[in-house]
Order: sequence, then C-alpha cells, then structure tokens
Amino acid sequence: MIDKRKLDRILKKVEKPARYIGMEINSVNKDLEDKVKFAFCFPDIYDVGMSHMGLHILYNLINEEDDFLCERVFSPWTDMEELMRQEDIPLFTLESKEEVRNFDFLGFTLQYEMSFTNILNILDLARIPLLSRDRGEEDPIIIAGGPCAYNPEPIADFIDVFVIGEGEEIVLELLNKYKEHKANKGDKESFLREILSIKGIYIPKFYKVEYKEDGTIKEMIPLIEEAPKRIEKRMVRNLDEMYSPRKVIVPYIETVHDRIMLELFRGCTRGCRFCQAGMIYRPIREKSPARLLDLAEDLVKSTGYENISLSSLSTCDYSQLQLLVSSLMDRFSEDNVGLSLPSLRLDSFSLDILKEIEKVRKSGLTFAPEAGSQRLRDVINKGVTEEDLITAVSYAFKEGWSRIKLYFMLGLPTETDEDVLGIRDLAYLVKDLFFKRPKEERRGNFSVTASASCFVPKPFTPFQWVKQDTIEEFKRKAHLVKDSIRDKRINFNYHDPELSYVEAVFARGDRRLGKALLKAWEKGCKFDGWSEHFKYDLWLEAFEEAGIDGSFYAHRERDKDEIFPWDFIDIGVSKKFLYREYERALAGETTDDCRIDCKGCGIRDCAMRGVFN
Amino acid sequence: MILRVKFNKKNYLKYIGHLDLLRLFQRSFSRAAIPVKFSEGFNPHPRFSIASPLSLGIESEEEYMDIEMAERIEAEEFIRRMNQVLPKDIQILEAVYPEDKRSISSLITWALYEIRFATKVDMDLDEAKRIINSWLEREEIIISRLRKKGRKRVMKEENIRPLIGHLDVKGKEGDEIVLQALMKVGEGGNLRPFDFINALNEAEELQMDLDSVLIKRQSLYIGDGEEIYRPVK
Repeated sequence: MIDKRKLDRILKKVEKPARYIGMEINSVNKDLEDKVKFAFCFPDIYDVGMSHMGLHILYNLINEEDDFLCERVFSPWTDMEELMRQEDIPLFTLESKEEVRNFDFLGFTLQYEMSFTNILNILDLARIPLLSRDRGEEDPIIIAGGPCAYNPEPIADFIDVFVIGEGEEIVLELLNKYKEHKANKGDKESFLREILSIKGIYIPKFYKVEYKEDGTIKEMIPLIEEAPKRIEKRMVRNLDEMYSPRKVIVPYIETVHDRIMLELFRGCTRGCRFCQAGMIYRPIREKSPARLLDLAEDLVKSTGYENISLSSLSTCDYSQLQLLVSSLMDRFSEDNVGLSLPSLRLDSFSLDILKEIEKVRKSGLTFAPEAGSQRLRDVINKGVTEEDLITAVSYAFKEGWSRIKLYFMLGLPTETDEDVLGIRDLAYLVKDLFFKRPKEERRGNFSVTASASCFVPKPFTPFQWVKQDTIEEFKRKAHLVKDSIRDKRINFNYHDPELSYVEAVFARGDRRLGKALLKAWEKGCKFDGWSEHFKYDLWLEAFEEAGIDGSFYAHRERDKDEIFPWDFIDIGVSKKFLYREYERALAGETTDDCRIDCKGCGIRDCAMRGVFN
Repeated sequence: MILRVKFNKKNYLKYIGHLDLLRLFQRSFSRAAIPVKFSEGFNPHPRFSIASPLSLGIESEEEYMDIEMAERIEAEEFIRRMNQVLPKDIQILEAVYPEDKRSISSLITWALYEIRFATKVDMDLDEAKRIINSWLEREEIIISRLRKKGRKRVMKEENIRPLIGHLDVKGKEGDEIVLQALMKVGEGGNLRPFDFINALNEAEELQMDLDSVLIKRQSLYIGDGEEIYRPVK
C-alpha cells in the first residue's frame, strides 16, 4: 500500500481530488490476500473513464467471483501526476490504494488511438517496464482490449496479451486459467503459451512480421506452433443471457455520462462505410424489453440515479423502442427518473419518441448528416437525404427546439469542393427553415452549429484502402466553409487536422510504430486526445527520430491485395465484402440496411434479417 | 415538515465538494426510499439544504441539514435506512423534527475546528503557545480577500480578530501542534478556516508547514452573546 500520509498532502493541492479516492457507492473493496488481482485501467482521467460502460461490466463481473478481484486505475491529471512524481508516490488503485505493480494483471481498454501515450505514462507511473520484453516474473501481465485492439500492432511492443472481441466473454476464462497456473507455480512464459489456445487471445511476441521492399507487409509468421495464424474475435451470442451488472459505481464528482447507461443492443445494420463500430460489432444482437426493464429496475434501486440513457450504436433502430420507452416511462416517471436518447435518427419516429421522453427543456438538438451533399452521403452510405433533414428540423422547430447542431466529416473519399460547400448550404437551409416559420410560431433563440471532424480511415471498414487528406487540404477545405458563412447565427468549427493525422497514422499502423510512440512519450506527449495537450511538433520529431514516414500510413492509397497489419484478425466480416463496399462507394452506389436483405458480409448466424421497428 | 439531521463527513470523503455532497444525498434519499418533497417545475429536485457548507478538504464530526419531508417517517427509521445506503464515512448521527421553524442555515453562528499542523523546524509546545498567543493579542488581524462588488471582484482588507471566538493550543502529538479554534459563521460574520490558517501563517516565527495542515470541524453552534449550544441535543 502506498504512503497515505503523503497522499493526503498532495490531495489537498489538486483539482477534483475525489478523482483519486475511490470509496464510491457500489465500489468493491476486497481483501487482497490469495486473490487473483486485476487492475482495470481506462487510460484517461477518471471523469472520462468512469463513463465507459465496459468498465462497469467487467468490474462487476470479476468482483462477483470469490477468487478474483478487480480494482480501478485511471490517468492522473497533470497536476496530480506532477505531485505524485515529486512525492515519489507510485500509481495506485482507487479501491485499496495498492501499487498497481503488485497486481497480477493490468488491463487497458483501448477506446481511441490518441490514448496510447497515456498507456506508456501509466506503466511508467506504476514503475512497470514499458517494453513487454523487459518485464519479468514479478511484473503484472499487461493485457488490452476494446475497439483499438482490432489493430493491436502499433502497441504490440508494450502489451503482453491482447483480447480481441467482447471482454465479458473471455475474462473469467483467462483468470481461471491464471488461478490454476498460480496454484501449480508455473512461470509467465508457460502461462502465455497455454492461453494461446483460448479463442480471441493474441500475444504479439509469438509472431514475427516480414516486410516487402516497398514497406508493406509480406507475411506475419507465428514463431511457435501453438500460435494461431488467424485470431477470431470473441462475441456474446445471446445478450439476454449475457452477464449484465445490476449495480454500477456512482461517482461523487460529475462525469461525462453521469447516469445509468442501458445497453439495448450491440452491432448496427446501417452499414455506414466510414464506421468501424458498425463492422466490428456485427452481427446485431438485441436485449429483450423484459430483460431491459428488469435490469433498469435494479439499476435505479441500487444507484439512485435520476436518469437512464438508452445507449447503443443507433438507439432508434432498436426493434421494440416504442414498447420499451413507454414501459420505462410508466414505471419510472413517478420516481422522477428521466430517460434520454444519445443518438437520433433523422425521422419523425425518433422525434416522436424524443418528444415523449424529454418533456423538459427543449434546447439543443443534434443531427449527423456527416456529409454536405447527397452524392457524398451516398458514397459513405449514410442513408439520410436532404428531405429527411428538412422533415426532422421542421418538426423540431414546430415542437419548440431552436438550437440545432450538425455533425460532418471533412476529407471523405471522392470529396470535391462542391461537396464541402454543401456543409454551408445545409446550415443555411436549417436557418431558412427556422425563419420561414410565421414570426409568432418561432420560439427560442435560433442558432445552428456545424461541426466538422477530419476523416480518419479505420481498419475493418470499406475505407481501409483510402488515403487521408493532407493537413493542408483539411485546412483549405475548412476555410472554404468558414469563409463562405456570413451569418452570426451560423457557427462553423472543425477539429484539429494535425491530431487527426497522427490518429490516422496509428489507426492503420504496424509494429514499427512502437518506436515512434515510445519516443513521443519520452519527449512529453500525453493526453494527446485533449487538444490543449496535443504537441504536434514533438510528434513530428518522434516520427523523424524513429525513422517513420507518417504519410506512408496516413496518405497512401492501398492496393486491393495489400496485406494489412490487422488482416490476421477475423471479425467475421470478410475483406471481400469490405472491398465490394469500397467499390460501390466509388461508384456512388448505396447499400441498404442489411435487415432489408442480406448482403453476404460474411457473418454467420445473423439473426436480425427482416426485424424492424 | 422539516427533518433536521446531524451527520458527519470523514477521512477521504472530506475531498467531496459541496455540490457533490448534495448529489450524494439526493441519490441516497432515492435509494433509501425517503419521502422527500420535490420542487415543482421542469427539473424537479428534492428540497433540502445543508448549513454552512464545508470547504473541500475539511473533515467534520457534526454537520447539519434540513430536509423537507413529503410525509412523516420516524427519525430512527430515517437514520436506519439512510445509513444502509450512505458510505461509511458519511453517516447520519441524529435526526429530529424541530419545533422552531427557522432554517438551520439562518441559526448557525459559530463553528469549532480542530487544526493540526507540523512546523518546518522542531518547536516545543511552550514556544508554539507563546507565538500563537502573541499573534492573537494583536488588536487587528488583517487578511485580504476577493470580494464581489457588483460584477467586479476587488481585493478587500478585513480584520478577522472579532471573528475568532477563542483559540486554544491543545498540545503536541508527534510532530503536530494541535489547536482548537471557535470561528464565526453565517450572515453575522464568516471566517473560513483556510483564511484563518493563512493569517496565522503571517506569524513567521511559527514556521508552519502549510502542506501538513489538517482541519476538522468538531461542531456547529447556534445562539449569540453569552450562551451558544448545539442545534440538535
């Protein structure tokens, strides 16, 4: 255990000290003796990490077992880190204030590429050697999972074991094996070899990558016989039978999502071609309304939360949304528990439901057309038309909303200046729809905000072959829109193109990037996802010193048959299907929602055909 | 119907801020199924108020809040149900339905604190007493603090000597000097413990180690003039 008196000295000096104390309602404190100890880390600050549903699932799943325990660790914010280093306090878990390095496992959830430097920083603060090959028997086994584990290669030097797919399927299996192994006094090496037989486990050190002269991959070679050539993702088959926690930790401080998150389903059938989640989480699997009501009942009781968020990739696609919403409202409105929808479809059905549940304030409403022109929306297969937007926005104004946010991406494949200016046109269209209404029916203070992110091509999407726009091109396009808007009620902002460039390098990167990552961290990069902490010049130095050409990863159009660093992972969706979708994109052809008819993406046992709301 | 409640806030939970504490109680009322009255309007919230909110980082043995109840439940029942759902370092100690209709916030006049700190150089107790007492004997102890003046914020000097009821040097435990201080709170004058500490730190001879300061509120009092007493029992 760390020196608590020292901790008390520094907690008095930091912003939001409650980030570091644990002791929340529903947190679990177990005796550390004789347990397999798992430290779960979300490599960002507490406020962000505690909003991640996966944490709550795995935390409770592990802690319900007598022989195991799970405690939490997050990135200390910069003020806390400075004082911890000054006072010589190693990184500790929130529950027992035990040093992280005394745990058996340290597990990272990889939610975004720009958290990679934070992982290195956490290992350093925990006094664990950064490189997998430098660690010994006494160090925890470093494991990682989550969406970015679908391309694990850029951080293969630092992680011992990757878990590909849904963690609740595999974590107990892994810990049970470890328990047996510990009882038999086996060493780490033999444990790692043994777990190669578990489906979904990838251990980078048992593989070697060979490259062609042009820098692309020639072959990925297993170094030992037990190492499988292909790693199949793990997936929960039946969501109703899946473990779902009936209590979740209730933070003292306000976090990003400070409410009950009720997961309605996994996967998505829309087939947007830029979206990685829409591919890696296939097939779509729903929980039943009865199960959801039952879970909600217990969650409200055990947390005292005043709001339930219905969260999923595209919540309005839930096949029994109306039934679920009315049942939840019937049950909870008397207890002053509200409902919220995090994502909206551009149709009146969604808005009807929204109207029903948010009888409260009608402030801002967000839509995501993603692209400014119909042509480009067809390319990305975002099945939304200008007509849909007009209907939805008119309806919203009629119902009393007055502030509209629109989300777009810049740099989508085949984008022309005309498409880019479509962003302006849509923003003006929304404005006109508001002021076209009779004066006496206009309510509230009108504003429309168009936000554009810079497109980052991701692995396992139909756009995994395309090149990203250069930083200059992003800036030019952003200014094209910005300079064309002459109205104070129309705002336009865009994300940092430099940041999106580094993200793109890592998103489709390979093992050789490990060196650059290490250098970047050594130079002081951390919290890269926080634009105020992102230091582009240091990243450029790091790439340079590591001999990495970032453009090779970000700005290169790939050949059809190129072997990608992530090709050894099997998500169920075939590369052939992805390429077919890529070709359709270039031809401007849309692909229907696969509930309408099956597109042969490669997923077996898909149960969702023909199920609609 | 007002229920007046005494509770404590200890150990690490001193790092929970006032708004966080309000949220904790709101959720705890809900989990314990306490029939608290809700406000009307778009965003209904339970009606209760905590007297003289603690600054972040200060422990307390006795805090008070008034809760507006929608229906009467027995005080013991309230305590039992709440303590089941509250964290162990925030617990309800007592609860009564007071006859006096004035709010707890308007009644509180004094707060008693225990203050511990280490000194940068080793110092015996008598020396510490001498320094502190001579500091206290000053006619004026001036601090400057930010005050809102309309929309502007201005530095304002204030003599805090009248806001200190009494100050005892209790002893020395290990390397820590232990003080007990009674300070004015509420509308009739308010001294915040951290302002007090900064003022005491002006007595340079004392060589306080500011990082080591530990403050605990021991109780709150109502009444004025000669006699002060605890709000509940």
